[in-house]
Amino acid sequence: MNSVNDMNSMIELNDVTQVFHGAATRSTGGEFKAVDNVSFSLTAEPPQILSLVGQSGSGKSTIARIILGLQKPTSGSVTYRGKDIYKLSGKEYDTYRRDVQPVFQDPYGIFNPFYRVDRVFWTAIKKFKLASSREKGLALIEEALHAVDLRPEDVLNRYPHQLSGGQRQRVMLARVYLLHPKFIIADEPISMLDAAVRVLFLNILLDFKQKYGMTTLFITHDLSTSYYVGGEIMVISRGKIVERGRVDDVLVHPSHPYTQMLLASVPIPDPDARWHEKVMIPGEEEEPVVVEQPDLEVPGSI
Amino acid sequence: MVNNLSKAVEKKTATGSPLIDIEDLKVYYNTVNGVSQAVDGVNLNIKRGEILGIAGESGCGKSTLTTALLRLTRPPAYIAGGKITFYPEDDNPIDLLDLDGPQLRSVRWRHLSYLPQGSMNSLNPVMRIKDQFIDVMLEHSEITRFEAEKTIPELLRRVGLEPYVAKMYPHELSGGMKQRVILAMAIALNSDLVVADEPTTALDVHIQRVIIQMLADLRDSLGMTVILVTHDMAVHAELADRVAVMYAGTIVEVGDVRQIFKAPKHPYTQALIGSIPRIGGDRVRLGGIAGNTPSPRNWPSGCRFHPRCPHAMPVCSQEVPELLVSDEQTAGTQQQPLAACHLYTQPGSGGNHHEQRQ
Amino acid sequence: MRRFLLALGGLWNASRKVQAGVLILAFFILVAILHQPLSALIGHGRDPLALSEAAAWQMPNGEHWLGTDRYGRDILAMTVTGLTASLEVGAIAGLLSTIFGVIVAFVGGYKGGRLDSILSGTTDVFLVVPSFPLLITLSAYTSRVSLFSVAVILAIFSWPFAARTTRSQVLSLRSRPYVELAKVTKLNDFEIIFQELLPNLLPFIGVGFASASLGSIFALVGLEVIGLGPSGILDLGQMLNWSQGWGALSLGAWPIFVAPVFVLAMLFFSVNLINIGLEEVYNPRLRKTAGA
Repeated sequence: MNSVNDMNSMIELNDVTQVFHGAATRSTGGEFKAVDNVSFSLTAEPPQILSLVGQSGSGKSTIARIILGLQKPTSGSVTYRGKDIYKLSGKEYDTYRRDVQPVFQDPYGIFNPFYRVDRVFWTAIKKFKLASSREKGLALIEEALHAVDLRPEDVLNRYPHQLSGGQRQRVMLARVYLLHPKFIIADEPISMLDAAVRVLFLNILLDFKQKYGMTTLFITHDLSTSYYVGGEIMVISRGKIVERGRVDDVLVHPSHPYTQMLLASVPIPDPDARWHEKVMIPGEEEEPVVVEQPDLEVPGSI
Repeated sequence: MVNNLSKAVEKKTATGSPLIDIEDLKVYYNTVNGVSQAVDGVNLNIKRGEILGIAGESGCGKSTLTTALLRLTRPPAYIAGGKITFYPEDDNPIDLLDLDGPQLRSVRWRHLSYLPQGSMNSLNPVMRIKDQFIDVMLEHSEITRFEAEKTIPELLRRVGLEPYVAKMYPHELSGGMKQRVILAMAIALNSDLVVADEPTTALDVHIQRVIIQMLADLRDSLGMTVILVTHDMAVHAELADRVAVMYAGTIVEVGDVRQIFKAPKHPYTQALIGSIPRIGGDRVRLGGIAGNTPSPRNWPSGCRFHPRCPHAMPVCSQEVPELLVSDEQTAGTQQQPLAACHLYTQPGSGGNHHEQRQ
Repeated sequence: MRRFLLALGGLWNASRKVQAGVLILAFFILVAILHQPLSALIGHGRDPLALSEAAAWQMPNGEHWLGTDRYGRDILAMTVTGLTASLEVGAIAGLLSTIFGVIVAFVGGYKGGRLDSILSGTTDVFLVVPSFPLLITLSAYTSRVSLFSVAVILAIFSWPFAARTTRSQVLSLRSRPYVELAKVTKLNDFEIIFQELLPNLLPFIGVGFASASLGSIFALVGLEVIGLGPSGILDLGQMLNWSQGWGALSLGAWPIFVAPVFVLAMLFFSVNLINIGLEEVYNPRLRKTAGA
């Protein structure tokens, strides 16, 4: 077993299932299966980018939270180097926290509005003992900001509301750089950013893989951004992974009907390549809030 | 409904004539830190029967522009200048900014309808769908209640919804379904113009395609005009006939959709087109746009894009470039491109340029 | 700290209502703090509250600005002293109930699960139990009790309100992304509660404190008006009690009735002004200009 072997740091999900109960799930019988028997692994060596693609409500954000230890799965396990993350010793837990860091979706909610932006760096430095003095800490912060193309003077003494969404997400990436984790769990990191800024963010993620060897789990609903970062892809629908493989294969020659449907629905940014066929999507996806009603689509009416 | 359909056939022949003329529109906001010039001198012509896309990133002013067009501007925003002229088919031109309450009501739905984002609601939450249809139809046409009610199932079917949706309340419908109900209402009244604001955001991806197709259909089979506001350039590529690109409260480029995508003139448009990831083909690093979006309280001097422009010249920080037409014809389009950039205003910079609002 | 003061300064500038409310409240608080020198001033060196020193039932005149009561005590002095006592009771009861309520709210709201069920259940029990009859019963046994004890008893009945409302705020904040970020940065529960949640709730808790204080003052007045409540303390409610018991109004001696009512009304009004002013500042729709 390679559980202590540094060369093979791997996060594995084994048959992870997450069921939610509560009043909001009354229409589906009191429980809602957000994640349904999902298994996959993330390896640090060689560094990779693995996209997890699905629509909202497909369970992808729940998976992110499960991996980050913020949500305990109903059944199944997440293991790091072979050990269940809920059964780690103190020291192993510290290592896990150091090795796995997130980038979240909402650049507005990610900062505590009460504090200045640099607090996210200092908290990390303090908690992970990254620097022994203030000068050394400051040097680390400045290096991190340069790595994401931000100038320290533009950022460090500001409050979150004084920065743009793109700047805030880059500060988050700088924080990730500071911690130098092996794994980045990026949950819809660019969906709330403008188009031009998205590309800059994705370029930094690619740099992080190529220059610093970090593996990213890139969670998104936008297929073209997944194609842009390349690597491997998993397509998730209603908590189940329906297709996986290399991005170049899955997104160009999809085999599962759900993937095909997703691809058919992405508008192509080329006016000479417009959709010619009119599609009328059959039944299952368009469910009204009142579940008992049968489907409301009428085929072929447009 | 029969009346409306024949009217629709008629409408197509008026395609191409001007529908709305926006002249030097300014919409400002009062804020604690000064006046925010969200829309600052916009000139735009919208032609009958076209789909005009308005593209731009957050903060460019496109939402403020459309709410002003729909007369939905509320304090602290106010119209600081300009004119919006609407040319109905069989009537005299109307200055939309000049209308009062009852006049506005008669213009709404019959001439102008609004399709908000899927998650928002321009439907009355305490009325059933069919009552809202009837309400709107009775107000804007001469048919009786009974006749109005008879048209509802057909209208719903037209947008792909089952007839018994009519008995439901808006909160029981999903975002995509609400969108389609509103489209059905616009069809029922044969609105001249549908303003679609980010029609595909917040919808599931397969419904996005349905909505996009429906908007295309409004133009193709009913001759309606659509203003499509979205930051998603791919949607413009699918739908728009012409695209107007907004930056920092002004229009920086207007042109045929093919020209915008294949041969954009303005550096901002070029950078925007250059940041769109596509599926398939070689994997190439895209460039993005350097710098940050400027603040509407303090627009940069001269050309507002100059701090971020790779082609900036000294004149760019001094003079505001006008939106000028170029004589050159991009192959395959009938539209002459318009761009507000000093690269094209300098004498001898290629092509003859003259001022003309298209 | 500096930012806090700047924010307060911003609030002051932002709303005339806030300015008015704060000024009125500040005035009363100042009077209460300075009640002893003021009393001396009013009595011109002698104790204005000594019995039978001056003539009884005087109408407002040059020497006694609000007249005197049945025992010849200066009513202005009584009002000043009464105001002090009322504010003291309000402040102590408000402080105690807010601290206790906030602790319960944070612990239950953040941890969730069984602990939250127990704490919320307890809060609800206290909320549901009719407080006024209980207060009446309690006060029957506490006629000779200190101001502090009165404040404690009042706090026992007002902490659930602070707990309830603070808990719902905690619930909404605890799932914010910055809390999750704190968790993956190895912050423990206490650090999250104190460093992440508490600072953002301070304004909310502050308003809760003001309401609890005011509520306690009025609860005490309510008790005293019907004759219950600690008799040894001279506060505004006691003055109202006396005005009733001595039939002051039928004698035409209105100051002993009007003065406390006026002060209480102004206290209430000023706190409300501040609340409404703050709401206008924070809720853009009520304003005419957009905020930063």
